[in-house]
Amino acid sequence: MRISEVRVGTELEPFVVDGVSAEKMKLMAALLHDPNPIHLDPEAVRGLGMGDRVVNQGPANQAYLVNMLLRFAGDPAAVRRVTVRFLGNVFAGDRVECRGRVTEVDEGAGTVTVEVEETVDGSPVMAGTAVVALPA
Amino acid sequence: MSDDYSHLIGHRFPGGTVTIPGWVDFLWRDAVLAEPGGEAVHPGLAYLAAVQGSGVTFQDIFDLAEATAESGPMFGEQTLTFEGALRTDTEYAVEGEITDVVRKQGRRAGTFDMLTFELRLRAPGGALVATNVNTFIFPRATGEPA
Repeated sequence: MRISEVRVGTELEPFVVDGVSAEKMKLMAALLHDPNPIHLDPEAVRGLGMGDRVVNQGPANQAYLVNMLLRFAGDPAAVRRVTVRFLGNVFAGDRVECRGRVTEVDEGAGTVTVEVEETVDGSPVMAGTAVVALPA
Repeated sequence: MSDDYSHLIGHRFPGGTVTIPGWVDFLWRDAVLAEPGGEAVHPGLAYLAAVQGSGVTFQDIFDLAEATAESGPMFGEQTLTFEGALRTDTEYAVEGEITDVVRKQGRRAGTFDMLTFELRLRAPGGALVATNVNTFIFPRATGEPA
């Protein structure tokens, strides 16, 4: 994608996770050295009154949004900034949808600002902004 | 037990170095359903690299906040800023500190503390490559440490 092809309002191709995997959470827990049992043990989730499905790690939810930005920019070095607020939990089995919309184009700097949102069944679980560099 | 953790502001982490092997980037991409990469690592891995190189673990941060993993600590916010892409098999120096701690009260969430820390990754030679700012939320039962 070139910056000349982008306008304010341009929508990014959504990134969809069609059923978050509890097995991937175990891998993430190992990579992150994250001892929080809500990612591993449904009993721990029940104990906190949060239902009976394990909870996805925040960095994984954030990474889904980054995946969308990578597809848009085509280059990991193009991602300059990602700021997100964690608004809700993503549980095993959830269908996650990431969307992005360009809100600013700075041709001088060669960057675009993207408003990003991640939802489960239409409810936001993450929202924020990203700055991505695009070639002229 | 304290109901004010502002004394943690300025607490510096030990710091250290981190190298991201290609296989870690591979596993990360597998875990987050990303497409295969090259020498440039998945940008989300900057978080893991920063934490691993900081000299602290999640448990250390929980301990500083007098919280337990079982009390349900959560991510509040995260900002990753890049001056360039992180590369596999490159050693980065990591430094950082706690920058803010705020106690809040929510009608539904009850009492909780928001703890923010910043970690910086520097390339060999000292150039800043990535900055990682994270805010954790620590639920507190009736104002006491969870």
